[in-house]
Amino acid sequence: MIKEKFDKNEFDKLAAEYRYIITDIICRAGSGHIGGALSLVEIVITLYDRIMKIAPDNPKWQYRDRLIMSKGHAGPVLYTALAYKGFFPTSWLPTLNADGTRLPSHCDQNQTPGIDMTTGSLGQGLSCACGVALAAKIDGKKHNIFCVIGDGESNEGQIWEAALFGAHRKLDNLVAICDYNKLQIDGFTKEILDIEPLMDKWRAFGWETFEMDGHNWDDIYKTVNQAIAVKDKPSMIIAHTIKGKGCCEIENKAESHNIKVPDKASHEKYLKSLKCQDNELVY
Amino acid sequence: MLLHEMEMRAVYGQTLNELIEENPNVMCLEADLSKASGTNPCVAKKYPNNFINVGVCEANMISIGAGLAVEGKIPFCASFTCFASRRVYDQITISVAYANNNVKIVGTAPGITAGPNGGTHMCFQDLAIMRAMPNMHVYSPTDSYELRAVMRYMAKTRQPAYMQLIRSKVNKIFDENYKFDPAWAVVLKKGKDVTIVTTGYMTHFALEAVEELLRKGINAQLLHYPSVKPFDVETLVASAKETGIVVTVETQNIIGGLGGAVCETLSENYPVRVKRLGIPDKFGEVATEEYLFNKHGFGVKHIVAACMEMLKGNKK
Repeated sequence: MIKEKFDKNEFDKLAAEYRYIITDIICRAGSGHIGGALSLVEIVITLYDRIMKIAPDNPKWQYRDRLIMSKGHAGPVLYTALAYKGFFPTSWLPTLNADGTRLPSHCDQNQTPGIDMTTGSLGQGLSCACGVALAAKIDGKKHNIFCVIGDGESNEGQIWEAALFGAHRKLDNLVAICDYNKLQIDGFTKEILDIEPLMDKWRAFGWETFEMDGHNWDDIYKTVNQAIAVKDKPSMIIAHTIKGKGCCEIENKAESHNIKVPDKASHEKYLKSLKCQDNELVY
Repeated sequence: MLLHEMEMRAVYGQTLNELIEENPNVMCLEADLSKASGTNPCVAKKYPNNFINVGVCEANMISIGAGLAVEGKIPFCASFTCFASRRVYDQITISVAYANNNVKIVGTAPGITAGPNGGTHMCFQDLAIMRAMPNMHVYSPTDSYELRAVMRYMAKTRQPAYMQLIRSKVNKIFDENYKFDPAWAVVLKKGKDVTIVTTGYMTHFALEAVEELLRKGINAQLLHYPSVKPFDVETLVASAKETGIVVTVETQNIIGGLGGAVCETLSENYPVRVKRLGIPDKFGEVATEEYLFNKHGFGVKHIVAACMEMLKGNKK
């Protein structure tokens, strides 16, 4: 499943496809959390295409690497990856949020093949990831546990309870990534509730800390692998990203958190504002 | 030592050890109240690898439990009732019930048994709020034998569950042969004059009330509900048909808990008059049981009086 060779052009094209799909399925649904999905495209692609051991034909394979999307509203980017990897048909993608869908706005372990944990109430996923990592330690299993949290989500006290626990239990099989796009629903994080100095905080909590450009293929690949290699403590990668990346209409704007798409004209507007237009629909 | 000679919390710890012995996937999670729950040193010493103390982080404990459960572990997460239910209601709702993860939540020192800790710790709404949660079973065992049976059931069923745990020593009601099935209430006394419905701690006081009523020539039927959800409709309706009047007793707010379940069930199936005894929509306070029984009117003498009063107006 892991791509042996990295071809930047191929991955750039893949990222453009992801962004087209995410934008299109959210527009079809009439609304959705687009900004925080677009900011994670390169990270999610790198994890699923270059790093994680997975088995799409056996989603619960016990030795697979796990990914817990603690910022559960980023479902659409994860669904795109899972469909591309073959966990379910790409024809499911446009059913996002439709009546009876198996792709709900927030990640649901009981609805979608390949989703490792139900999330959506912010702050809980990192604790769940600690539990998953602890179980692996107890059972002597060697797989990695990845957990993506949001910067706005980092306002939640429970994140810091999990931070204490992860370090105390030396969960070095846990690699957390903070999607630091500097925006939360009501505005810039530094204006709503400043979380800086973020690296210092995680370091003080006993985690190995890294920074990376969350849109740079080489940086993501290198940094995640460095984090995987860390021993005796969990890792936190602060990923500098741009909310709504690639969609000019909303890029780096608080409004990108959740867009409303009332009509076909708005749908067209968002698709046309994508920087890369050379896409084929896979569904 | 026989089970009924032990404190209930010691039975909790000892039973967890038995369950871990039988299935190493059973885990004991605590949030800095392990001595109060009876698992430290009992479980902590015997099975240190199955004993996880998360510190004073109840929210974290519940979601860690969910993470363990999704990997096949069977975590029993304990704290004082107030913290195990209302403080972590959203974590239980999403990480456990909505996700349908196999986590067992144990609320210790329920209702007025929180005594010296007073109003902040005296939780009167846990049965109501846990009962209102889809996917969640809600149990309140009354003695040591029932506690062990309920725990054994919890460990062997893949089912999110919440259980109240009385910490102190209580009188023996059942014995080694007791079998727990959440589908059924237990008819503790047969009678045709009035139905008394109880759960958990208050069953002991209702038993005394039944004896007192008997001395007055009144035959009360006592239904004990170890499972408040699922709720045994059949036994209640059959009893209501026989007696025509029902008194509920619980160490909970009379809104939404056992009394709520009884009223909902009867109004839909066989409407009869019901008197709910318990806490009349008030907060708790530091006090003895006797003081609280008298203040809120749900001790033995109040149960007797309520039954007598109801009988006066019974047209059966």
